Amino acid sequence: MKTLLTIAWRNIWRHPARSGVLLAAIVAGLWAGVVTVGIINGLLQQRIDYMIESEITHAQIHHPEFLAEGYSWLHIPHHDEIINWLENDSRVVNYTSRTITDGMLQSPVKTSGVRIRGIDAETERQTTTFHENLIEGEYLDSDVPSAIIIGAELAAEHNMETGNRVVLTFEDINNELTSGSFHIVGIFRSASVEYDRRNVFVRSDEFIELLGDQPVFHEIGIMLGHEEQAGEVTADLNSRFAGITAQTWRQLSPELSMLVELGGVMVIIITMIIMAALAFGILNTMLMALFERMREIGMLISIGMSKIRVFSTIMFESVMLTLTGTVAGFVLAWGTIRYLSGSGLNLEMFADGAAQLGWDHVIYPELTPGEYVIILSVVILITLMASVYPAIKGIRINPLEAAKNT
Amino acid sequence: MAIVQTKNLSKVYNPDTVPVHALRDVSISIEKGEFTSIVGPSGSGKTTLLNMLGGLDKPSSGSVWVNGKEITSMKESDLIDFRLYNIGFVFQHYNLIPVFTAHENVSFIMLLQNRSKKEIKERADELLEEVGLGDRKNARPVEMSGGQQQRVAVARALASEPKFILADEPTANLDSTSAMNLLDIMSRMNREQNVTFVFSTHDQRVIDRARRVITMVDGAIHKDEYQNVEETKTG
Repeated sequence: MKTLLTIAWRNIWRHPARSGVLLAAIVAGLWAGVVTVGIINGLLQQRIDYMIESEITHAQIHHPEFLAEGYSWLHIPHHDEIINWLENDSRVVNYTSRTITDGMLQSPVKTSGVRIRGIDAETERQTTTFHENLIEGEYLDSDVPSAIIIGAELAAEHNMETGNRVVLTFEDINNELTSGSFHIVGIFRSASVEYDRRNVFVRSDEFIELLGDQPVFHEIGIMLGHEEQAGEVTADLNSRFAGITAQTWRQLSPELSMLVELGGVMVIIITMIIMAALAFGILNTMLMALFERMREIGMLISIGMSKIRVFSTIMFESVMLTLTGTVAGFVLAWGTIRYLSGSGLNLEMFADGAAQLGWDHVIYPELTPGEYVIILSVVILITLMASVYPAIKGIRINPLEAAKNT
Repeated sequence: MAIVQTKNLSKVYNPDTVPVHALRDVSISIEKGEFTSIVGPSGSGKTTLLNMLGGLDKPSSGSVWVNGKEITSMKESDLIDFRLYNIGFVFQHYNLIPVFTAHENVSFIMLLQNRSKKEIKERADELLEEVGLGDRKNARPVEMSGGQQQRVAVARALASEPKFILADEPTANLDSTSAMNLLDIMSRMNREQNVTFVFSTHDQRVIDRARRVITMVDGAIHKDEYQNVEETKTG
C-alpha cells in the first residue's frame, strides 16, 4: 500500500506544470465554492437570527385559532398563569406579551391595511431587538400619549413624519368597529420593506383600552437560553395549559426552517456543480497521464503487478491530486471566511435591493466543521467517479505494450 | 525437466482478414542454466516467441510449459501472479519506473511478492552491487546512462528469483561498451548462479556469447545449435 501511494504521489509531480494547473483549478474552484457556501450560510443565518431576535423569538404562545383567523377575540386564556409559569422556568430568559389585531391606518393621504401590534415597551426591549430598528424619533417609552411608531415605507407612502397623527380602525373583542387617534413618535426600518409597510406598533395598555374592557393578549414571545430548548418548552406549555398553542420558531415560520434546510442542501449542490466541472479536468489529466504511461503500465502488469494494484495506483493518484488541491482550497477558504466573519462582507452597493428582499447588506459568512466534512465527502466521491474510467482503461492495457520497440 | 518448453506453438495474426503467420509449429525445450539466444531477421517471430514464453501473449494453437506447468490455458489474473514468481523480464527500452530510484526499482518486484523489508533491502543492495551499481542506488533512471538503466533492469529481473529471464533485444539501445558490460554481467550470473537466460537479439556480439543459438526464419525454427563460448571479461 505504502509503495502504491509513493508511486501515485511521485507520478503527480512528474509533470509539475500540468498537475499545477489542475491543482490551481481545484484550489480556485473549491475556494470559490466554499466561500460562496459560507456567504449563503451567513445570509441565511443572518435572516434567521434577525427574525428570531427582532420579532419571532424562540417560541410563541397563541390562542389555537389566532394565527389562522387573526380576530381580536381569539386571545390567550390563562394569561397570568402562563406568565407565572414562564417567570419560574429556568430555561426562559425573557418573554413579552403582545396584543395584536389587523386594522386600517388612515392619514390625510390614504388608507392602508396594517397589523397593529400592541407591545409593552420595557419587556419587548428586554426580549427582542426590534427597538434597534428605530431610525427617527422616539421609542414607545416616550411620554407622548397614544404614541405609534410606523415603518419608513408606510410613512413615505402616507407622506407622514414624526409628530403627525394617524387614525387606526379595527374590530374590538366584542366584534364592534372602533378607532383611535395616534401620534407618530417614531419611524423604524427593519430588514424587510414589506414588514415596514404592513406593521405599526402602539403601547399595549392603550391599545387594550380600545379593544375591550379586560386585558387581552394574543401573543407571548419567549426567548430561551438555547434555541434547542424550544421544542421541550413548547411541549411543556402545551401539556400544562389548555386552550393555547405553544410553537417553536421553526413551526411558526416554516420558511425560516426551510432556509436552514436549504443551507444544508446548498452546500452539496454548489460543491457538486464545482466538482462536476473539475471532474472533467481530473479525467483529462488522468487520461493524458495514462496514455503517456502505456508502456510503463504494460511493464508493471508484465512483471506481475496485479490489476487491482494498477487500478488502485491510478485511483490513489487522482484522489491524492484532488485532496492536495482540496486541502489548499480549504485553508484559503477557511482564512477568507474567518476574516469575513469578523469584519463582515459589506455589499453596500446592493443595500437597497437587499432591503427590498428583507436582507441586510453586511454578510458574515460562516461554515461549520460538519459542512467542511460534507464538502470533502462530495469532493472525494466525485473524484473517485472521475477516476474510475482512467483506472479501468489502465487495467485494460495489454502487457505487450511493454515489449513494443517503438 | 525443462524449465520452459513449447509444443507445436503457432500464432496467426488477423486470421479472418489477412492472416500473418508469426509462429509456425514451434517446439523448443530450454533446460535450467542455459544461456540461449533467439536470432533471426526482423519479422522472423523472435519477439512473438519471447512474448509467448513470458505468458504475455496467447498462441493460436500449441502450448507453453514453464517448470512443468502449462501457462497457455491460465486465467489472466493467475498468469500475472505466475509471472511475478517465475519469469523475469528485461526489455529493450529498460522500462524502469521513472519516479523510483534504482534501489526502489529493484525492490519493487519483491514488495509485490510481499517479502520482508529486511530481505528486500538486503537483496536489492546485493543485486545492485552485483551489477556494479552499488554507488548509484539512489539515482533515478533519468540520472543514469542507458547501460546503467539496463543493468538495473537485469537486477530487477533477478530480484524476484525467477525460473528464467527473458530479455528482448537487451543491447539494442546500448553502446558497445555498455552492451559488453551487460553481457558480462548476464553471463556471470548464468555461470555462477545458474540463472537461465533467453534473449532475442540481432547483435552478433550477443550471439557470440550465447551457448545455444536458435535461429528463426518466417516464424519457424530454422536452426537450433550449441556453440562453444570463450568466457571473456570486457571493460
